[in-house]
Amino acid sequence: MRMGMLRIGITVCAAVPLGLADGFSFTLGNPVAAQDYRAKTASFVFRAEGCGEPAKAQITGTAEGLVNGIRHSVPLKISAMSQPGVYAVYQTWPAEGAWVVSLKGACGAENAGALVPTSAKGFLRDAVKFFPRPATNVEIETALKNLAQGANQ
Amino acid sequence: MWEKHIAMHLMAYLNGELPPRKAREVESHLEVCEACRTEREKIRAGMDAIRRLPLVAAPDSIWPSIAAEFGRRQPRPAAVVHWRWVLAAAVLITLMSSTAYWWLHRPLGTEWGVVRIDGSPSIGAKPLVGAGHVRAGEWIETDAHSQALVQVGEIGSVQVAPNTRVRVVTAQQDEHRLALARGEIHASISAPPKLFFVDTASGTAVDLGCEYSLIAADDGSSLLRVIRGWVSFEWKEIDSLVPAGATCRTRPHLGPGIPYFDDASAKLKQAADAFGLEKSGDTTLNVILSASRVRDTLTLWHLLARVDPPDRNRVYDHLASVSPPPAGVTREMVLKLDAAALQRWRDDLAWKW
Repeated sequence: MRMGMLRIGITVCAAVPLGLADGFSFTLGNPVAAQDYRAKTASFVFRAEGCGEPAKAQITGTAEGLVNGIRHSVPLKISAMSQPGVYAVYQTWPAEGAWVVSLKGACGAENAGALVPTSAKGFLRDAVKFFPRPATNVEIETALKNLAQGANQ
Repeated sequence: MWEKHIAMHLMAYLNGELPPRKAREVESHLEVCEACRTEREKIRAGMDAIRRLPLVAAPDSIWPSIAAEFGRRQPRPAAVVHWRWVLAAAVLITLMSSTAYWWLHRPLGTEWGVVRIDGSPSIGAKPLVGAGHVRAGEWIETDAHSQALVQVGEIGSVQVAPNTRVRVVTAQQDEHRLALARGEIHASISAPPKLFFVDTASGTAVDLGCEYSLIAADDGSSLLRVIRGWVSFEWKEIDSLVPAGATCRTRPHLGPGIPYFDDASAKLKQAADAFGLEKSGDTTLNVILSASRVRDTLTLWHLLARVDPPDRNRVYDHLASVSPPPAGVTREMVLKLDAAALQRWRDDLAWKW
């Protein structure tokens, strides 16, 4: 009990300076939202929110794909835009197959994740899923399966 | 290179100062060497230019220093005889340097490369076979069976679809401008904003960095569809921002219409296209308001400046219910069409597009 309370206390004390009230998360947008012409060829842009120091957030990601039944994983090209905490994702995956972008972010002790299904026209906003942590492999596979099935319908 | 040529003898040759045998050798070489003939003409032009220079009397103030120099050392008659050669050489060097400088720093894109994709496109009414160039002022025209690809300076390309007539207006480093009279082009531009423009009868597509298609009809109307990036469609004081995934129609004498996303409902798209054309805007406005989703705040935002003040309240209320304006942007500011307030709200709404 004491250790449990101690852990809660430590977690709260560590998280408060990082804006825990709003939580660390992603918001996705059309490239025009970046207000930066370098985003003009981006597939989509996103901003890291709820991080006390957006410029210090660690952002990574991969493009997870299913092409002719074969799984692929491609590193993402993520570029910071002129606004702090705003990033552009450029398409590094091929046009064939079904592709989901898996975003991972760390801001101090907080994490965030997002699975972003894509299409030839950008990202599928209604199908985006957000997590308070990086997406799991099961979640990635599910998103890919749903995307591939939706493409085949 | 110069050891094989006779450039060093050209000035003396032109001045008639070479021995006869040497002069014959120079003449024989000139008959077979274009490079030296070119040099000969440059030197001749320089010497002609010198001869045409007006004689200007030296100011009196320089003579004391000249006299002092004469007293210090013996004058050199050779220098007097060869001053023309020195000046000619200086003019020649200047001409060559200027030419080299112009070549290296010439305005890029003064002519653009054009490649035939299909059929028989024409440039300036001349059929294009394979590849060619187009200059400012020239028309590129395709028939029903032809297509062409235009390299727009160093910033991108434009594909000219069948049945299209498009003119290169400006081909400069700081402005690349086309005029689309009719037909369809597909532009893919990679450059800082506002370097590439396409004029139509009812508006100008100002590239903010993107890929888009633009169709111009014979009645002067146009349809802009943005694939990547975003485009500003401008006419007089009307400006429509068209982001990736959105379309905007322009009408003659009315300019750019209300943009909408391609995945909006058919009802909303039809209403947006018809907005401003009907006698009363109520019908189309009602449809737009009722059929709009969160993403359609693109359309709603543009409506704010296009409706009459009474309807602006309705549009504001609906837009604010979907996506409240950011802190510092008040209802009063928006209803007064405060430019900064509208911009801030648009920047905030863009995250929902």
